[in-house]
Amino acid sequence: MLRTTLIKALNGAKLSSKHVYVVSRASSAVAKKPEKIEVFIDDKPVLVEPGTTVLQAAALLGIEIPRFCYHERLAVAGNCRMCLVEVEKSPKPVAACAMPVMKGWRIKTDSEMTKKAREGVMEFLLVNHPLDCPICDQGGECDLQDQSMAFGSDRSRFTDIDFSGKRAVEDKDIGPLIKTIMTRCIHCTRCIRFASEVAGVDDLGTTGRGSGMEIGTYVQKFFLSELSGNVIDLCPVGALTSKPYSFTARPWEIRKIDSIDVLDAVGSNIVVSTRTGEVMRILPRTNEEINEEWLSDKARFAYDGLKRQRLVTPMLRGSDGELKPVDWETALLSVAKVLKNAGSSVGAIAGGLADAEALVALKDLLNRVGSEDLCTEHTFPLDGSGTDLRSSYLLNNKIAGAEEADFVLLIGTNPRFEAPLLNSRLRKGYVHNELELALIGPKVDLTYEYDHLGDDPELIKQIASGNHPVAKRLKSAKKPLIILGADTLQRSDGAAILSAVQSLAASASVPENWKVLNILHKVASQVAALDIGYTPGADKIRENRPKVLFLLGADEGSIEKSDLADCFMIYQGHHGDRGASIADAILPGVAYTEKQATYVNTEGRAQQTLPAVTPPGQAKEDWKIIRALSEIIGVKLPYDDLNEIRCRLSQIAPHLTRYGDAEDANYFKQAGELAKSVHSKLSNSPIDVEIKELKDFYMTDSISRASPTMAKCVQAVLKQKQSKY
Amino acid sequence: MAKFFGIDKVLSIFKIIKDNGGLRASLYKMYRMDELKSGTLIGTDKYGNKYYENKRFFYGRNRWIEYAPYYNLEYDGSQVPAEWFGWLHYKTDLPPDQEPFRPKYKWMLDHTENLSGTSGQYMPYSTTRPKIEPWIPPKKC
Repeated sequence: MLRTTLIKALNGAKLSSKHVYVVSRASSAVAKKPEKIEVFIDDKPVLVEPGTTVLQAAALLGIEIPRFCYHERLAVAGNCRMCLVEVEKSPKPVAACAMPVMKGWRIKTDSEMTKKAREGVMEFLLVNHPLDCPICDQGGECDLQDQSMAFGSDRSRFTDIDFSGKRAVEDKDIGPLIKTIMTRCIHCTRCIRFASEVAGVDDLGTTGRGSGMEIGTYVQKFFLSELSGNVIDLCPVGALTSKPYSFTARPWEIRKIDSIDVLDAVGSNIVVSTRTGEVMRILPRTNEEINEEWLSDKARFAYDGLKRQRLVTPMLRGSDGELKPVDWETALLSVAKVLKNAGSSVGAIAGGLADAEALVALKDLLNRVGSEDLCTEHTFPLDGSGTDLRSSYLLNNKIAGAEEADFVLLIGTNPRFEAPLLNSRLRKGYVHNELELALIGPKVDLTYEYDHLGDDPELIKQIASGNHPVAKRLKSAKKPLIILGADTLQRSDGAAILSAVQSLAASASVPENWKVLNILHKVASQVAALDIGYTPGADKIRENRPKVLFLLGADEGSIEKSDLADCFMIYQGHHGDRGASIADAILPGVAYTEKQATYVNTEGRAQQTLPAVTPPGQAKEDWKIIRALSEIIGVKLPYDDLNEIRCRLSQIAPHLTRYGDAEDANYFKQAGELAKSVHSKLSNSPIDVEIKELKDFYMTDSISRASPTMAKCVQAVLKQKQSKY
Repeated sequence: MAKFFGIDKVLSIFKIIKDNGGLRASLYKMYRMDELKSGTLIGTDKYGNKYYENKRFFYGRNRWIEYAPYYNLEYDGSQVPAEWFGWLHYKTDLPPDQEPFRPKYKWMLDHTENLSGTSGQYMPYSTTRPKIEPWIPPKKC
């Protein structure tokens, strides 16, 4: 709907005036480097590019013009009229957000006319806005509140002569996450634009006009998208608020802690809001390189899973086969006794939420007792260069780089649900940058159009050998990307697929510093674990059959009790899930909102979470538990505090402590050469992905599985399916 | 004569020590109660506390209690039972056994000392829902 390409214009497609404007602006930008033009804002001169709007020009000078509908990441709507400013020699005030500046304009943002226009607009908005700020969840962070204080009139002419009441609109039920109080809506249409432009779900729209205008879904329908929570942040008033957060806290009484989301491999930056030792809500934090200012629904709403199904005390399985709570001393001593008796026959499996500190401590501990059986839950092929070269397991071209691509080949991945924010980048490229996409794998809804090639793994071979039309497209593309999903690499022929893709990526001719090969992981801990030197996949454990198995948050069922008959299993983690139920001893660790820990996202960027709340019950930080255990066994690990273990981290891999930087990978050529030595055959089974639909997206790890909100989302999706719309 | 020279003051020390059961016992009482007094024993309650009076001391200091030996240093005011409380605080001059109108019913509870700070203290149960719901391991069938 939004896609406007030059090709379509040449084909004589019907164009609105807005489309012509976009096309003409784009072509002029290519034709010649435009001269900068000078405008004066409040008598201060500023040089801007042609096509800059008044509002952007004012922002360059640090003058903020009030606005409701304008948002820098969305299309310009220009319907709230709050940004009216006076332009000299213009009889009427102009809307600053939509008006491009002309040479020599003198703009007055502080004149009588501007002030009067703002007061007038504010008065109209408030006539139809309820005065329920004391019970409104937006109170304290409401744009309308702030701007009516700053720019509104000091008195109102609104008197309800007929006692007919203000305009009232019926509330809509748009799902378990977003609460609507539609009477408060000021019709800025930000939510509509977000849904159709960024989320790619054209569910929201307007009906009626004038005072009868309403925002809604036209028919009774849920607004279900993996990015739906962002409309809560976008809404300038309290019309769309968070349902789980409603009536729980006020913005001025919460403490905000900057942190990192770990529920997918993207590593979105978040702000954790806490009050009375509880996580009240999670909001996105702007990071242009990762999540812009959006956040996926799982990261935003799964926080109530942190309060349920928690492991709060150490447990040991008694002689009757039941897990019984014990104190730390007993638990550590009996676990240490078992570890000591086992000697070097110890294995470990790290789950998807483990942090780098715990991974390092556990590896050091096991290496000291003479074991090398350290695995991660998620498989990765070990043939060829395997995990020795970082380039073969990173999203090498970075998340932000996906915007610039002109051709993307997705293999065995569903980025919409595996990494929603990477998918929003791809959609951005599709809408604004004429990005073309092709997919090998099951046909899924990615919110944009793509060329579905099929789900036969042979296709990769065909493209690599050049016998497929896509091969030509890949050759001719200036900035091609191949994104390979982690699900594909879990297959038995993962090595063959990886080596085929590596040779395919090497064959593309691309500018320097453009990396074609990209691996998209699904869990937050995988990259750090591979960097530290864990073996991907639990096959090694099954072969070696250790006497003691240490599960570090391993909940995905990669190993069953039946696989290892008389093996003592120790589970260390924060949630009681599959791992804890098969364990013989449980050591309660802490979740990502309760510790300062390092995570490396799928592009190889090290980031750290910060503790927002205290650990529940007797739970302790993961690396400290392992450190305590090591001392009892008699192989004391040489670090006592966070700084010392961070030193150890940087000894192993220096990039692990360079927070915020994405460490580039090298040796693409060498990895490609090594990949040629892989001779295993592709199997015939079709390429599949685990998460195909929205209902699979919500519950993927021990935190989101424990979250009632996520369970409600799944119910909502199932209910929506039965509805006739 | 002895009074004139103040020797009776010195002699009274020996008398106090003697009343308290010798030098050893006196030193122990000093250690336990930080003072050494002698007076007439007015009565003993059922818990073993002894009540003394000595009109030589001024009002307010002339009635006192010597807590039962098993309390050792762990004595406090709440261990005085209700019937002796009145005498000790000059509400009445008659000790409980001589008071004719003191009611006595069989439903009257025994005196208990204040149990705050001990394991026997009163703790109201919480009526708020716990913030964290712990995992309860599934029972094996």
